[in-house]
Amino acid sequence: MSKVVEISPTTRHEGHSKLVLKVNDDGIIERGDWLSITPVRGVEKLAIGKTMEQVPKIASRVCGICPIAHTLAGIEAMEASIGCEIPEDAKLLRYILQCANRMHSHAIHNILSLPDMYIPGTDVKINPFTKEEPVRSVALRIQRLREIGQTIGEIVGGEAIHPSNPRVGGMYKNITPRAKAKIYDLAKESRVLAQEQMEFMIAVFRNYQNRDWSEVGGVEVPITKDLGYHNQGYMATAPVYGSSSLDETPMWFPDRFTEVRPWDWYMGEVEISEADPNYPIGGTTPVGNKAWPQMEACTGVPLYDGQPVEVGPRARLVQFKNYDEKGAMGLQIARQMEFPETAYGIIDALDALDPSGSVLADEIPQGDGSFGWAANEAPRGTDVHMAKVKDGRVEYFGMLVPTTWNFPTCSRALTGAPWRLAEVIMRAYDPCVSCATHMLVIDEDKRLVAQKLIQ
Amino acid sequence: MDVLGNYKSVISARSTDKDITKQSQDGGIITTLFAYALEEGIIDGAIVAGPSEEPWKPEPVVATTKAELLAAAGTRYTISPNLYLIKEATRSYGLDRVGIVGTPCQMQAVRKAQLYPIGMRDVDDKIALALGIFCMENLSYQALEAIVEDHCNQKMESVKKMDIGKGKFTVYTERGAVSQMPLKLIHKYVQPGCNVCLDYVANLADISSGSVGSPDGWSTVFVRSMKGNAVWDGAIAAGCFETKPMDQVKPGLDLVTKLATEKITKNQKNVDARKTFGLKADGTPKGLRNPYETP
Repeated sequence: MSKVVEISPTTRHEGHSKLVLKVNDDGIIERGDWLSITPVRGVEKLAIGKTMEQVPKIASRVCGICPIAHTLAGIEAMEASIGCEIPEDAKLLRYILQCANRMHSHAIHNILSLPDMYIPGTDVKINPFTKEEPVRSVALRIQRLREIGQTIGEIVGGEAIHPSNPRVGGMYKNITPRAKAKIYDLAKESRVLAQEQMEFMIAVFRNYQNRDWSEVGGVEVPITKDLGYHNQGYMATAPVYGSSSLDETPMWFPDRFTEVRPWDWYMGEVEISEADPNYPIGGTTPVGNKAWPQMEACTGVPLYDGQPVEVGPRARLVQFKNYDEKGAMGLQIARQMEFPETAYGIIDALDALDPSGSVLADEIPQGDGSFGWAANEAPRGTDVHMAKVKDGRVEYFGMLVPTTWNFPTCSRALTGAPWRLAEVIMRAYDPCVSCATHMLVIDEDKRLVAQKLIQ
Repeated sequence: MDVLGNYKSVISARSTDKDITKQSQDGGIITTLFAYALEEGIIDGAIVAGPSEEPWKPEPVVATTKAELLAAAGTRYTISPNLYLIKEATRSYGLDRVGIVGTPCQMQAVRKAQLYPIGMRDVDDKIALALGIFCMENLSYQALEAIVEDHCNQKMESVKKMDIGKGKFTVYTERGAVSQMPLKLIHKYVQPGCNVCLDYVANLADISSGSVGSPDGWSTVFVRSMKGNAVWDGAIAAGCFETKPMDQVKPGLDLVTKLATEKITKNQKNVDARKTFGLKADGTPKGLRNPYETP
């Protein structure tokens, strides 16, 4: 007889989501549903009728963790629709922005995942905020990496959060030689820090893999060897930057994408039949409450070739670097392995950058309403924006953001894990939920859902 | 009301650098201070009113060398929106320590940006030196054109220097013509914001400077903040300036006080008049916002 546990809200990630888990008598998950309960932003509807200059800026406001990814994906979707090629130096500046954002974002995720982990060789959980060594120097290193990422983003993008410098047709301003030298200095500093940080984090995750148990809310939970394994595919468009429909060989295919409604995907109404008041941060939802995932989920379920796919660091490494480690820790380790590349990417792009080069296309077409898409490899996965621009106005805008892809995939990865470790698996995906919550497309299914919601 | 603001010391000074005094309006204080601060690494660059495509129309530029500072030396009697670059200077220019020069109202804006850095992330802590200049009132570029071209009957392109002093607006041209008009005639051209300004000597700057109170070719300098004091002491020790005590020069501090009092008294009347400006639907006075009071 399976029981139902609900962890709501889930903690230590961006946004507002919850886990509804059907577990067996041993506490092993038989079916897990991880869903977004963040209110709908409605960016895609706001975009209609706005100028193509405005929409990427609005789109970036969906969230403050990877606004650079949303700005770049939005802008490049517009450029793909109008058919605008940008100068090489503008591309390099965007590449630097992308690397800076990834450096900052991976570092902040370290802070979020460390409290689940143990100091290697001990049974002491890591508190990233303690003043004691060895944790203190790691925390300082993380903050320095974030500071460097944000400062580089600020110089190149105009703002660390919601960059103002990128625009349709390139960038507003190139950087001065002085700024270039400053970024060099910062990147060289971060190169060393990122290497150290990667090695430390991988040691910590390997240690967790080798442990037999983990303590959650006063209970010793056995760590399964296949924690977070799933058999879904991977989707990535580039090792670092992304792809768009303007590319010679586009790496993402709109025809392979379909979307189903949460009504058809998630569990029906269930009653919570197991609870743990000692579960961290306020306990799980008390017994007797109801959960209704198919009604409460605020995302669509995107499918690629008819299946949920994983996006993110591991997907990039699997597609482009023959990485093959599965499971939650495999994903965490893949993320750390991307660390040094961010610093090297910035240095390489700076080497190629000409500070006196033009960063704006000579001619910016106003668009004829043709469909364009751009995929940006955001820190947590492929962020695809789709647009149709006619006469400078946006006629259609859609965002397929990383965590939307990961919701159904991660839900499957929960199966077979002890329910108390469900959050550990979920956090491995570095979820960023608020942008994943987006306006549903109006079609027959949508009407059905809407009617049900009204009833 | 203390019309001169808080200051640690006031002194009459002139730059010892002949390259600067050749270009400068009066004592070359601002240019010399920035040149000194650049050399000493107190600032990485300074936002100054540089030349633009149109004659006598200033354009904010980030100067990182003495040559760029010299190109921007001298007074243009129309506003240069220097604050426009304050954020960009810390971004694509990559500066960590920014110097900025401005009128009293621009100094107020700098301090406001530091106090409430909304939209000014990582800018407030990078403002290393804020230099203020005395300002009675300011003209739009079109007004300056009208004054020079119509009242003084000179072509903007030929003008070598403009000066305000002794109740006259004076224009010197390349070919040696000197044209003057009474200062009171230019009041109608003054920007409306200047009519409610209660600051004459840039009370919020680190150091403020202007010609009033000192002999020709010299400037009066108010050293106001700790930071300003340190920079000023350093510049004096480095021999950047020759100085005279304020009480030994003519016309002296009394003239500064007199003009400041005049400006503030006149503008306070405008501020007060606005309290009863316009009527609400019920007939009670509506009043315009008083920029010096919190609503």
